[in-house]
Amino acid sequence: MYLEQLKTAEEEWKERHREEISQAEAMGAACEDGTPLKVLYTPADAGADYYTRIGFPGEFPFTRGNDAAGYRKKLWTISHYAGFGSPSETNVLFRKMIDHGGVPPYMALDLPTQLGLDPDHPMARGEVGMTGTSIASLRDWETIFDGIKLEDTFVGTVINAPAAVILAMHVVLAEKQGADLTKIRGNLQNDILKEFTARGNFIFPVGPSLRLVTDTLEYCARHLPAYWPLNVCGGHFPEAGANRVHEVAFAFADAFTYIEDALGRGVDIDGFGKGIFFLMKTNHTDLFEEVAKFRAMRKIWSSRLRDRYGAKDAETMKCRILGHSGGSLMTRERPELNIARTTLACLAGVLGGIQLIGLRTMDEVFGIPTEKAELIAIGTQHVAAHETGLPDVVDPLGGSFYIEALTVEFEKKVLEEIERIERMGGMVKAIESGYVRRAIAQDAYQTQMALETGRKIKVGVNKYRIEENEPPRRPYQYKPEEEQRQIEAVRQLRRERDHAAVERALERIRATARRPAGTDANLMPPIIEAVRAYATVGEICGALREVFGEYAEPTTF
Amino acid sequence: MSAQQRRIRVLMGKPGLCGHDRGIALVVMALRDAGMEVIYSGRHNSPESLVEVALQEDVDVLGVSILSGGHLGLCERIARLLRERNVDDIVFLAGGFIPPEDIPQLKAMGVREVFRDDARLEDIVRFVEKAARERVAA
Repeated sequence: MYLEQLKTAEEEWKERHREEISQAEAMGAACEDGTPLKVLYTPADAGADYYTRIGFPGEFPFTRGNDAAGYRKKLWTISHYAGFGSPSETNVLFRKMIDHGGVPPYMALDLPTQLGLDPDHPMARGEVGMTGTSIASLRDWETIFDGIKLEDTFVGTVINAPAAVILAMHVVLAEKQGADLTKIRGNLQNDILKEFTARGNFIFPVGPSLRLVTDTLEYCARHLPAYWPLNVCGGHFPEAGANRVHEVAFAFADAFTYIEDALGRGVDIDGFGKGIFFLMKTNHTDLFEEVAKFRAMRKIWSSRLRDRYGAKDAETMKCRILGHSGGSLMTRERPELNIARTTLACLAGVLGGIQLIGLRTMDEVFGIPTEKAELIAIGTQHVAAHETGLPDVVDPLGGSFYIEALTVEFEKKVLEEIERIERMGGMVKAIESGYVRRAIAQDAYQTQMALETGRKIKVGVNKYRIEENEPPRRPYQYKPEEEQRQIEAVRQLRRERDHAAVERALERIRATARRPAGTDANLMPPIIEAVRAYATVGEICGALREVFGEYAEPTTF
Repeated sequence: MSAQQRRIRVLMGKPGLCGHDRGIALVVMALRDAGMEVIYSGRHNSPESLVEVALQEDVDVLGVSILSGGHLGLCERIARLLRERNVDDIVFLAGGFIPPEDIPQLKAMGVREVFRDDARLEDIVRFVEKAARERVAA
């Protein structure tokens, strides 16, 4: 009744201001995917039942936040990003950080390691140690953690296709240190499905790749309860060009695929669900839609986990979101404006109530960030946390007619996209058919054309341009002597180890891989044996390649 | 079919281990929309396999995209292979995350033009059309 009256009143209001409103509407303000935005939102648009849709923070459906007291309970984590050189340089850095009471940052690995190739493989030429540390065998892991007790340290590794091998190294080293495995903490990215569609570091076909992820989930649920074996990544989709509806829908569809595969093996959802985190983008573009995105994510996730997968523990139902601002939105032109962009990106994340925020440095577009730019990126968050009052009240935009309407709308769009994928037969099919890759490429094409025609504005690039010289670059330096050292090291290892033991272990991996996926054919135990015998990442992935083959990506957009 | 009527044939490829393909996907779509015949290699190709495909497919243009920082070594190997196989008249283009100071070196190796990550699709299409026509005319 009240809403009906309101709708009539709104129509009358529009009539009274017809010229102004129709001119404004003609300017075409829209959501990222093109859905038009009204000039004004009222309770009639919000259309939300407070109790069922929104509720209270810390309780189902968690739309307003994971914790009752929000950031007053715990401030978001201020994250930063770091690169590494050789295993021994990494060891020095890790020990220094631990001595200062810190936690080692997430470990970046080089491309040959991420693609399961040893440093002396022909395709590895020129790439060893370039984008991160090169890890060929357990010996490198032993070097990195020399003098560091794994039981006392959280170790995060950005590794996907060979994640099972890295996990095995961690297990073997922990055992050698006499650690209690139930206390081992750490995190693998391990989200292989997004590699096929956005990040590009895949090895095996989709089915066997999924099997390896489930093997690690099952192994951790049974033996390493404190370890977080999976970060589901949405943020790689917008970096590849996708809009944020696709960002969330594809991340969730990937996550559901892992969960359903693990549940199929009889693993309890409350046993591993708490260890799933979402790595998303928090961007300044369409800022209010970004806030609505985070709110809708929590509602969709908790509903699905409870109602479809039978989660009983509220902790399992919480959607934990780690947000980084998008590197592809930073500009070389007028780079100082990147500070303004990331400040607003930080605001979007805080208003969205997410658990971790990482901001790009203003100079990342020129190579390795300078220390000054790193300090600005971290300081920006300190300002947001301590000078603004932003953390004082939970979900401060909750109840805004506009935000609630956007949240409802965003949830609807994501659920529609997830249903579309499920009708195709699930995410594995949607990847193999090229659907996901095509959807992302088409989004990217639309964005590119909008920028080239000036429909979308990028300050300093296609508007308000100021011609100036590019600042000096700090590129990653290719060190041929470093590459040569890693090649020598792996060759020496092959000469020294027990060759027969390696061969036996690799044969056991092949034999297990040939059996149908399942608990009794979990690949973790044979991979652990191979790692213990100092088989290399390239040899272990090679044995799996022999059985599984390699992924041939669809090459049409 | 006369040389004039033949559609421009392009091989777009990603050499090396770099997985980023947003840029190359955009260029593939733009060239295709401009009426060219475009073959996309997918990721993780060796320079040898790219040049082999370029030969087999009788392309006018070979475009590569590299964002890992390995562009100097990879482009050098591709240019050398093109010369060795006597097909260095194929228009060889490079794109991706490439610092401006590397561009003269790339051009000296035989890369005809470099399109950095801020290049406009429109300009790339125009360049490819012109270079491919000149090659046919030569």
